[in-house]
Amino acid sequence: MFQSRTEALALVLPAALFAAIVFLAPVVILLSEGFRIEGSWTLGAYTDFFSSGLNRAVFFRTLRLGALVTAVAAIVGYAAAFAIVNLSPTSKGRMIGLVVLPLMISPVARTYAWIVILGRTGIINQLLVGVGLSDEPIRFLFTETAVFIGLLQLFLPLMIISLVSALENMPNDAVPAARVLGANWFQVFWKVILPLTQEGLVIGGTLVFTGSMTAYITPAILGGSKVLMLETLLYQRVSVANDFVSASVIAFILIVMSFSANLLLKRLATARTKR
Amino acid sequence: MKNLLLVSGAALLLAMQPALAQDKTLTISVYGFAQDAFKELVYDPFEAKCGCKLVVETGNSVERLAKMEANKANPVIDMAVVSMADALSASRADLIDPIDTSKLSSYDELYDIAKDPNGDGMSVGYTFYATSIVYRSDKVKIDSWNDLLSDELAGHVAIPNITTNQGPPALYMLGLAMGEDTPDLKAPIAAMGEHKDDIVTFYNRSSELVQLMQQEEIWAAPIGRFAWAGFTKLDMPIEWATPKEGQTGGMNVMVLTKGSQNQELALEFMDYWLSADIQSKLGEALVDSPANMKAVVSDAAAANLTYGEETAKSLKLIPSDVALDQREAWLSEWNESVGQ
Repeated sequence: MFQSRTEALALVLPAALFAAIVFLAPVVILLSEGFRIEGSWTLGAYTDFFSSGLNRAVFFRTLRLGALVTAVAAIVGYAAAFAIVNLSPTSKGRMIGLVVLPLMISPVARTYAWIVILGRTGIINQLLVGVGLSDEPIRFLFTETAVFIGLLQLFLPLMIISLVSALENMPNDAVPAARVLGANWFQVFWKVILPLTQEGLVIGGTLVFTGSMTAYITPAILGGSKVLMLETLLYQRVSVANDFVSASVIAFILIVMSFSANLLLKRLATARTKR
Repeated sequence: MKNLLLVSGAALLLAMQPALAQDKTLTISVYGFAQDAFKELVYDPFEAKCGCKLVVETGNSVERLAKMEANKANPVIDMAVVSMADALSASRADLIDPIDTSKLSSYDELYDIAKDPNGDGMSVGYTFYATSIVYRSDKVKIDSWNDLLSDELAGHVAIPNITTNQGPPALYMLGLAMGEDTPDLKAPIAAMGEHKDDIVTFYNRSSELVQLMQQEEIWAAPIGRFAWAGFTKLDMPIEWATPKEGQTGGMNVMVLTKGSQNQELALEFMDYWLSADIQSKLGEALVDSPANMKAVVSDAAAANLTYGEETAKSLKLIPSDVALDQREAWLSEWNESVGQ
């Protein structure tokens, strides 16, 4: 496509320089702060971090909520994606448009909408009290449930899109063939659909897990300081205590967790294929 | 290839043009709150008066102080407005210069408590506020800070997070109500931990509370008077408590960056902001309660502000050195009792 390699390099250079100067360099500098105390290299900041009961609780809560959101998004996402790929092309386009629509709205606006929906006078409580499932409004706001719902709504579209794309690439006759050979629906999903769409699941799973662990606005607004997550703790360390060392430790943990999630999902997918 | 580089270079030069064109620029660092009103009432008129360009940086005070620290050798900010405790923190970190008050023509018009709030000559107060409890008078009656933890309010009260400016003063008053007048706030923080499940949220921004009050999520919360106006617009019976232990509050101050090249212009700007005229306008717009005793606002505005010297004197403020020295301990105590 290019007349010379130099021309291609010249075109990529501004973007590469931009990323290196304004992203990579600050990230490396920031992360290195967590490994340096008074000029010498040490893991002290990490042992300090995990020696605090609060930090451990926040770490496990973040991990738990991230895993739960990813698992539920995968289950709901497969059902939705399966329904979407079996629609006519026009309806499919419309449905994908609807799935993508929330991504075009600011997460702040979406999260504030949940304050109204999940509130004591919100539609969910009105429904629960109305049908007699509860005598009085239930407090959803500022609980882990609220954060879970907010994160699931925020990232479910990413899972659905990844799975729709994977299901579309699956051979059309794979499912009918399995059915003809006597497989029940569970076997069809477990032995045919899952192996053939695992790439989509790995991509969707990584996006949802990483997004859930690093989202700030949703846990901050729906969870507040009663449901501290690693990202809200990070903000607190920087903006209140001006403690960049702890912030750097948390940032590094989040990066490691994101990469680990991706590797783990890939490993699980490979293990399934080999069996 | 050459054309490509030329176009990139030209675009870069064009982008830099506005920066090169301004020779008299004052960079200020302020809270993000009410910036539209500040632009209209303070920034635009000052730019017209001085023939200079104002660059406004906003954010919370810790973030802004962290930037000042990072740029210490080559200051970007010329003046900043921060809380009293943060001004002391900046002073201890050698980030600010003493203020030559002889250059502030409005200085003598300031309430005494605003003249040199930290007693070190490094800051001048421009606004103060009371902090008390806003509550639904049809649901509860609040006579004491202790009422925040009453059975009637269980499940219907929001408390400011320890990390906010309202948090420590509100906890200090709760401590007084519990008979504990100690700066470590151990008793009120422990009480927060015990009643954690009765507290709807530990809020970070008072702007969140209006919606929570409107949705009947909460019936009471300690707030700064600057946030009161938002509640008066709700169609609900809402009152401002006058607890028997008194009201607390805070003061925001102006500081001058150490080594700034524009200190004269910064002082001119401070003087403009502190003038009775501007302070009256900011008060009337319910942006900031005036620290200039000659500032005059309508009765309607005064009812929403922390207005007058008597009010200012009656506030039980936490001294800056206490707030600063205890900050880290409060946070760790809070995280252990409330955060888990």
